[in-house]
Amino acid sequence: MLKDGIIAAVGTNVSVPREAAIIDGTGLTVYPGLIDAGTAVGLPAAEAEQPAARGRGPRSASAAPQKISLGPQDRPQTTPWNIAANDLNPADPRVEKWRGAGFTTALVQPTGGIFPGQGSVVAFGGDRPGEMVVAPRVTLGIAFDTSGNFANFPTSLMGSIAYVRQVFIDTRWYQDAETIYNANHQLERPPYDRTEAVVGEALNHHELVLLPANEKLSIYRAIRLANEWQINAAIYGVQQGYAMANEIAASKLPVFVNVNWPKMEKGADEDQITLRQLRFWDRAPSTPSALSKAGVTYAFYSGALSDPKEILKNVKKAIDAGLAPDAALKAMTITPAQILGVADRLGSIQQGKIANLVVADGDIFTEKTKIKDVFVDGKRYQIHEEPSSAAPGGPTASPADATGGEAQP
Amino acid sequence: MSRFLSNRVSHKIAASAVASFLLLFAFPGDAPAQNAANGVYAIRGAEIFTISGAPIEHGVVVIRDGKIAAVGADVPVPADAQVIDGSGLQVYPGMFDPVTQIGLEEVEAVRATEDTNETGEFNPDVTAATAFNADSSHVDVTRAAGITEVLTVPGALGGFGGGGSNSVIGGNASAVNLGGWNINDMAIKRHAAMELTWPSISTGSFDLTTFTFRQLPFDQAKKQYQAKVDALSDLFDQARHYATAMKGGATDFPRNLKLEALVPVVEGNEPLLVVAFSERDIRNAVDFCEKQKVRMILGGATEAWKTTDLLKKDDIPVIVGPILSIPQTDDDPYDAAYAMPAQLHEAGIKIAFASFNTSFSRRLPQYAGTAVGYGLPRDEALKAVTVNAAQMLGLGDIGTIEPGKVANVVVTDGDLLELRTHVKYLFIKGQMTSLDNKQLDLYQRYSHRPKPARD
Amino acid sequence: MIAKTNTKIVTNTCTMPNAHRSPALCIGLILLAAIAIVALPGAAQDQANVTLIKNATVITITHGRIEHASVLIRDGKIAAIGTDVQAPAGAKVIDASGMYVMPGIVDCHTHIAVDGDVNEGSTSVSSMVNIKDVLNPYDVNMYHELAGGVVIGNVLHGSANPIGGQTIVIKFKYGAPPDELPFPGALPGIKFALGENVKHSNFGGPVPRYPETRMGVEETIRDAFTRAKEYQKAWADYNRRKAAGEQNLIPPRRDLQLDPLVEVLEGKRYIHCHSYVSDEILMLIRVANEFGFKVRTFQHVLEGYKVADEMVQEGAGGSTFSDWWAYKMEAYEAIPYNAALMTRRGVIVSVNSDDPEEARHLNQEAAKSMRYGDLTENEALRLVTLNPAIQLGIDNHVGSIEVGKDADLVIYDHDPLSVYAVVQKTIIDGNVYFDRAQDIAGRAALAKEKQELLDKQKNANKPAPKAGSETEQKPKESKAKKHRKTPEFAELVGGGR
Repeated sequence: MLKDGIIAAVGTNVSVPREAAIIDGTGLTVYPGLIDAGTAVGLPAAEAEQPAARGRGPRSASAAPQKISLGPQDRPQTTPWNIAANDLNPADPRVEKWRGAGFTTALVQPTGGIFPGQGSVVAFGGDRPGEMVVAPRVTLGIAFDTSGNFANFPTSLMGSIAYVRQVFIDTRWYQDAETIYNANHQLERPPYDRTEAVVGEALNHHELVLLPANEKLSIYRAIRLANEWQINAAIYGVQQGYAMANEIAASKLPVFVNVNWPKMEKGADEDQITLRQLRFWDRAPSTPSALSKAGVTYAFYSGALSDPKEILKNVKKAIDAGLAPDAALKAMTITPAQILGVADRLGSIQQGKIANLVVADGDIFTEKTKIKDVFVDGKRYQIHEEPSSAAPGGPTASPADATGGEAQP
Repeated sequence: MSRFLSNRVSHKIAASAVASFLLLFAFPGDAPAQNAANGVYAIRGAEIFTISGAPIEHGVVVIRDGKIAAVGADVPVPADAQVIDGSGLQVYPGMFDPVTQIGLEEVEAVRATEDTNETGEFNPDVTAATAFNADSSHVDVTRAAGITEVLTVPGALGGFGGGGSNSVIGGNASAVNLGGWNINDMAIKRHAAMELTWPSISTGSFDLTTFTFRQLPFDQAKKQYQAKVDALSDLFDQARHYATAMKGGATDFPRNLKLEALVPVVEGNEPLLVVAFSERDIRNAVDFCEKQKVRMILGGATEAWKTTDLLKKDDIPVIVGPILSIPQTDDDPYDAAYAMPAQLHEAGIKIAFASFNTSFSRRLPQYAGTAVGYGLPRDEALKAVTVNAAQMLGLGDIGTIEPGKVANVVVTDGDLLELRTHVKYLFIKGQMTSLDNKQLDLYQRYSHRPKPARD
Repeated sequence: MIAKTNTKIVTNTCTMPNAHRSPALCIGLILLAAIAIVALPGAAQDQANVTLIKNATVITITHGRIEHASVLIRDGKIAAIGTDVQAPAGAKVIDASGMYVMPGIVDCHTHIAVDGDVNEGSTSVSSMVNIKDVLNPYDVNMYHELAGGVVIGNVLHGSANPIGGQTIVIKFKYGAPPDELPFPGALPGIKFALGENVKHSNFGGPVPRYPETRMGVEETIRDAFTRAKEYQKAWADYNRRKAAGEQNLIPPRRDLQLDPLVEVLEGKRYIHCHSYVSDEILMLIRVANEFGFKVRTFQHVLEGYKVADEMVQEGAGGSTFSDWWAYKMEAYEAIPYNAALMTRRGVIVSVNSDDPEEARHLNQEAAKSMRYGDLTENEALRLVTLNPAIQLGIDNHVGSIEVGKDADLVIYDHDPLSVYAVVQKTIIDGNVYFDRAQDIAGRAALAKEKQELLDKQKNANKPAPKAGSETEQKPKESKAKKHRKTPEFAELVGGGR
């Protein structure tokens, strides 16, 4: 029973008040609203459609014009002050699409650049942007992007890593320096740097720092850097987690798994495909089950998938590869809520939690199941069947995809 | 300090060169070999590898009038011969590097020194010998390693050549002796083969304007490739018509130098040296040559081990190289390139080694020796650096030590293919040729720098 | 199982002008007419980590060649060498009859095993970047090089900048977690570069960059060290004042670009300087003297033969190519006698690859100095074993076959100085990382697996691509592809990058 946007009661023997609108749920199944733990849905198109070349790759020209950057002091590709909550567009057609597929909530994370911005927990409902925001500043995104040319720092992955390292050093220096200065105004004033200030606030808020980690090598790297930088981190991508489950478990880092499983492109040049890639494509969907067995805390996110129905299809692939359906559901409900610090309000059907629900006519992972209703903050959205001309939901072709390599959040 | 040193090619051994022999080759009791004014030499007592037959343990090689006059265990030493004491030494035909760009470039990075690659896709009329710099340091340096002839090849050489990768037909490759007064003196055959770099389906390319790496979807790359192949086929068809018109005595058509240059190729009189590496490219190239009925020599051929049936069926000889290459793909066996010559040989295919390079031309014996380690019989390896390429190119005068052949001969203190072997003497067209070169000069000069006084 | 080598390593602070250095750790005495050597004291009773390489010609480098000898390995170290060494019960035995065992090759200049671009080319002083952050143990080039006998590499930043990034020495433990690659205790390095590459002489960049002349290169380095000295002083001042109890001090900023340069000044980080012509080699020696630091090695140093005496005086080693030349102006006076000539003048010389293919036959490259310059057999082999180990400060542990050193070994079927020699096995810390017979035996299975996975992917991509299409006109192409592809791979759980 839902009242004022909150779950007032749940059970087999709930007394129904007279003023309640009654929905007959016979033969239907109610799930907690699904949580997409990483998407750009709701953000303006220009930013969202950038081929977010996480890891490496050329940046889209539609990004902010690049100034020449010759070193860390020029703060290249750095916009940590972009907070998703400030840029939400409730009329983004994808919001409705996601909702129609059962997703009531998402971590909406800006993309593009090395420090693209801070992610917010967002509800896919409401008429005004502010109504969508559940928690405005939850994550601090990081991607080891490069400039894509030979002139602008950083041109290399190691340059990008060194840059992020320097930013953390500078941020902590600024915090110390500011503290000392504020008590001693006769000292030399530490210069104000917006990045240092904003990243400092994010660290003070204990925001989750998101580190890229799709294949084995980058997973090792992210674990090592999280430790070196002493940050409250989570790793994202993790499609090669099947090979690293124990190491990830030992690190105790929470994980966001990109369910946009890599695969061979149609019409790809077979001569260029390697056994290593083939093994990766074959085994990636077994990652969630391996993580479960090792006791890793993980959530699913959609990556660059443009059709949210593909998300469930891909999760089904993971189930076929050995993941328990229960565990799959958790990774889209309570676990992301826990990781993102909103488990007291979201992620399960419990009295007192926000009324985000999905009503379906069968098991949510079965393809022919239809979603009938979605509730967001207690408001009911009836879901009507779409004409089946939906474009195949696949990743937009990009060099990274062609090699089945770096994933995109 | 000049960085443009170049050596004059010299037939005479100057006094300094004699001194250098004494310094480098300390064979006590040897009289240094002198240049014979009458051009008659006898190398006595060495182990002789004729290549045409079994090695002769201790024999005599007589050189006269630029040719091998006699060779054998019991050949008498002529009275008028300059005798070279060959005890403990070995005699081989001089080596032949059949794909190099020696003479066409000096310093790869300095554009003004590059004449390797004319602009444009089809340049059948250009000829390497035209641009051959007889005074290039590369000539002396390479010769000193025992290489007496090269086929110097214009064009992209499948990417190993200088310049851009646009070139499809690079031009006429010229066979040249690495010794002589000028190109007229040194040329063996100016139009020895026509170079063709088989177009590749390339999905990745580097854009120099934006300085970024561009990725092309595979089917687009395929289309581009097909367009190039079609243009190539058209060109050959036109050349064939041109040939027919010429033969028929027709006069009422304009002269076309490019088509004219292809006439010997389409008529099978000049071999087509097709450079291709991947299995796919090799198959496509063989297919093309079959249709065009040209005499094909396959060059490069890294993945030829996957196509031996095809090559054997069409009797296509292969100039392999460079052997010291990493495998074409990550999944190929680590020794794919090293083992390939043996595999081709076992399949009955005629092979020759080449450097596909200028400054690495002297590595020719190293390529051959490496292939021996990975299964090629040593006899075959020796042929593959001497006579095989000569035969592929129809150069019957060189490559073995037999009476009547041109006296291009190298005398060593050990196995020709071994890394520690020294070249002792070198003959080109029957003349003892200097081993002096820029690098030897620098070595000697700095060997004689006075040592600093120690405290 | 890899034995942990956590022992404290004595760093090599010796200068290097002497051509002969006795390694500090040499427990046994190995004679030419060898007798059985006593095993390492305190050896474990467990025989699982014991291997005997039996009946080979053992090339020790420091104590000559021993015919019909065996090498006993225990817990990753060389435990015994000699003609009478026996295998304890339960030990693994490698029959190396007729073969040659020598120390694994040390490549003093490599760019393999790096994830991403090997250059941070945007700034002329890129010392803030660190190769250690991007080590890639899955680079198939590493496997190829193991197959060429290389066990250790000095992994360097590229030559785009006068002062490049931080560098690291690794063991080629292919497939191991990246943290297990760095050579325990080896001092870190930093890459410098002089000449045409840093001046962008032979290619156009999108924007012009200082320096464009060798004069500017000198000033770039001087400026960086001037700033480093100021930075060093600022921290020293702060620390001193803080230690004296002063309160309310704002510390100086930590600058990742200058930290490594301070380490150079303090002798804690080696400089490996890419250089070609004599004037720039002399320049760096002069600048080093001005600022009080040392140059550990000049890399490439193709005109090193012209300034060998000056290098000896500076105590700098030379790590060069065997016979590369004329590819750019500054390489025009390179000579293949360089290694031999520098050696004769007293420089510690190594021959390196700077190239993943060249690295596969460094034994051959070393042999060339017998032709060009008449080095002896042992002098030639030292160029790729003990000498690079000395240059990298790890010769206490590797570079020769001596009791107590790491069991980093290569087995060849011919004399390694012969062009015909083929690596049979490559061993690191007593573990076999390359085995030619096993490699050959495993090819068919890998090919089969690849074809199966490829078919699976193609079926998943409905509809199947047009038959025999993507490439050429003839259908037999696709048939041939199915037969012939033989993927090459070491065991690598999980695949992927």
